[in-house]
Amino acid sequence: MSESTVATLPATRRALWPALRRRRPAVPRVEHGVKAAGFGGQFLPLLLLTPQLLILILFFFIPAVRGLAQAFLLQDPFGQEVHFVGLENITSLLRSAEYRESLRLSVVFTAATTVLTFSAGLVLAFATDRVTRGRNAYRAVLLMPYAIAPAIAGFVWAFLFNPLVGPAATLLHSLGIAWDPNRNGQDAMLLVILTASWKHLCYDYIFLVAALGAVPRSVIEAAAVDGAGPLRRFVWITLPMIAPTVFFLLIMNTVYGLFETFAIIDAATRGGPAAATSILVYKVYVDGFINLDLGSSAAQSVLLMIFAVALTVIQFRLIERRISYDVSQ
Amino acid sequence: MTPSLPRRTVLAAGAAALPLLHVRTAKAAPREIRFWHAMSGVNGERLEEMTRQFNASQSEFSVTPIFKGTYDELINATVAAYRTRTQPQLVQIYERGFMTMLLSGAVVPVQELMAAQKHEVNWGDFIKPIAGYYTHRGLLAAMPFNSSTPILFFNKAHFSRAGLERPAETWQGLEDQLRRVKAAGGPGSIMADDYHWSWFENYSAINDYQYATKNNGFSGLDTEFTYNRTPVVQQLGRMKRWMDSGLLEIAGQGVSATAVFTSGRSATFIASTAAHSAMMAASGLEWDAVPLPWEEGRTPRNSVIGGAVLWALRGHPEADNAATATFLAFVAKPETQVWWHKATGYVPATNAAYALAKSQGWYRERPTQEIAVQQLSRGEPTANSLGYRFGNFTQTMLAQREEAERAFAGQKAPQVAMDDAVARGNEILRRFERLNAGKY
Repeated sequence: MSESTVATLPATRRALWPALRRRRPAVPRVEHGVKAAGFGGQFLPLLLLTPQLLILILFFFIPAVRGLAQAFLLQDPFGQEVHFVGLENITSLLRSAEYRESLRLSVVFTAATTVLTFSAGLVLAFATDRVTRGRNAYRAVLLMPYAIAPAIAGFVWAFLFNPLVGPAATLLHSLGIAWDPNRNGQDAMLLVILTASWKHLCYDYIFLVAALGAVPRSVIEAAAVDGAGPLRRFVWITLPMIAPTVFFLLIMNTVYGLFETFAIIDAATRGGPAAATSILVYKVYVDGFINLDLGSSAAQSVLLMIFAVALTVIQFRLIERRISYDVSQ
Repeated sequence: MTPSLPRRTVLAAGAAALPLLHVRTAKAAPREIRFWHAMSGVNGERLEEMTRQFNASQSEFSVTPIFKGTYDELINATVAAYRTRTQPQLVQIYERGFMTMLLSGAVVPVQELMAAQKHEVNWGDFIKPIAGYYTHRGLLAAMPFNSSTPILFFNKAHFSRAGLERPAETWQGLEDQLRRVKAAGGPGSIMADDYHWSWFENYSAINDYQYATKNNGFSGLDTEFTYNRTPVVQQLGRMKRWMDSGLLEIAGQGVSATAVFTSGRSATFIASTAAHSAMMAASGLEWDAVPLPWEEGRTPRNSVIGGAVLWALRGHPEADNAATATFLAFVAKPETQVWWHKATGYVPATNAAYALAKSQGWYRERPTQEIAVQQLSRGEPTANSLGYRFGNFTQTMLAQREEAERAFAGQKAPQVAMDDAVARGNEILRRFERLNAGKY
């Protein structure tokens, strides 16, 4: 089961677009697996897609277009004064030291979260194979953070590591570590990286457990018989076979770090101290919803979107072509 | 089939119909208006109680309070509602949103509304720093609702262990005392989350230091911050020095500064007078309060307010405006003011309400609740102490905090930090000026 989940993900993505674009009557083609199943006409599939498309149009495309328009305007929150300012919102952002710093922080934060989440998830997924007693309990414990609301997670970690009252902070202090995320920006950054990674860990874990489970035992055993040690077996057999999952997680972790960590940051540090944890998505929120600076906030959203799309395209270009999705079939 | 069944059904049907009937008759009569607010917890319950009192006091109008989240969330909700023409009749907006609301074109100045609806309010009786803060072109633009000002709470036990009775009047004296408390094995002090309000803004007002040109923004949108050329820089240096020597602590996230103080682990706490409710709820805490300190050699002036006001929004029928005006007249009544003051710890907005509370002996029971009123009405307000009128005030304040925190962390010298805060703030002010040119 896990094998097919991993293998079909890209396949469904590819299958969606031709179905939408197809104007001429469907030409029956000889295909295997998932692609072989399909609809004859185009009415039913379009009908089935309609609810989802309506939701997308209403909650994604219309706001996105309006957001894009706002990026070129200077306006008061109530919308009575609207000045067209062209690219000014964007150029003033690119000139601003605060924005460039926020960009740098986002890169550091996202890279650290991605690497930490993935490597910890991988180690734990490996351990799942080795755990024999209490395996279900082990899995349940690992899956728990995912069920906790991000804001709660942020608040709990902020409390645990609060230098005045937090038990974890007291422990660090007793070890002689001058831990103070309220004044030291690097400590605060470390705190949100740990919280965000902890929260997202089980996502990577689930996919990696599934992917590892899908690697045929026979291949690994054959390699072992040939004299390959555990490390060698992992690097040359397992890793290439789970590469599609690794690639998928890399993208998902990046997207998570860039977009979905808002609540954690809001609860754990509020972007502080001195904006040391104010990553791009948090800055968009502060400028738009607290400072009511809609033009700048919209311009930031546009830049953030360009940034995320560029990153994903680069990842696809650089990595995807080296991955074979057929390995596990 | 048992014979009792039909009877039971009839009874049940009757019981179900009763509240329905009641709702119908209740709904038919009074004109209902919506009042969006941002008061949570105990103060939220008090606010709802106030609207219930109003609704019970007459039968023509009915006010429905709706909690919309924090002040920030509320002003956002108001903007969104106004743009989709679903705005409520009345909203509670914090003091930093004053310029945004005033120039929004979405509000009816409250004094104009009350005059049009023929409600007599003694406008001259409002306490000066409150009226001054919200008056534009001689008219009160919004109804003062929950006004507060910071005072200094202190832990009596920690002070007496160091042989001290009460905090000194000046910052210099206080620093000396805090060192003695620390030397006697006592704790440091906890810094409130909205420290910029007490330590920079009120500090400037009380010591009569200029914060910005054009009378702190009152006489023009082309105002520029000047606090980087006043002792505010030394004040920032003082905060950093206190933090370095453990005299001042930041609560940060995960715990509230108020909770740290009420748990007895801080010597002093400079916070809004609205913290009174938390102080009184804390058990086993020996606390007292004094006015905010000032700089040695200065004559202390009045402090400035914080809190929120009620704005009447445009775009409603005449009958709604009548309801809004009647409710606002109820809010402005001395009896309501005194009730609110006692129930929440916010200051009474009018001199009549203050006199009434005093004549009822309230301050003999609760002397610390009088500090805020006395501090606010200390002397005649100067151009530097009347208040602050900046566009995008939240944004300039956040930029200032960011730079101050760089100084706390030792990344920037206090002078550099305040220079940068002023430069960033002025840029934000220019953005507002450009958008609102000619409107103020």
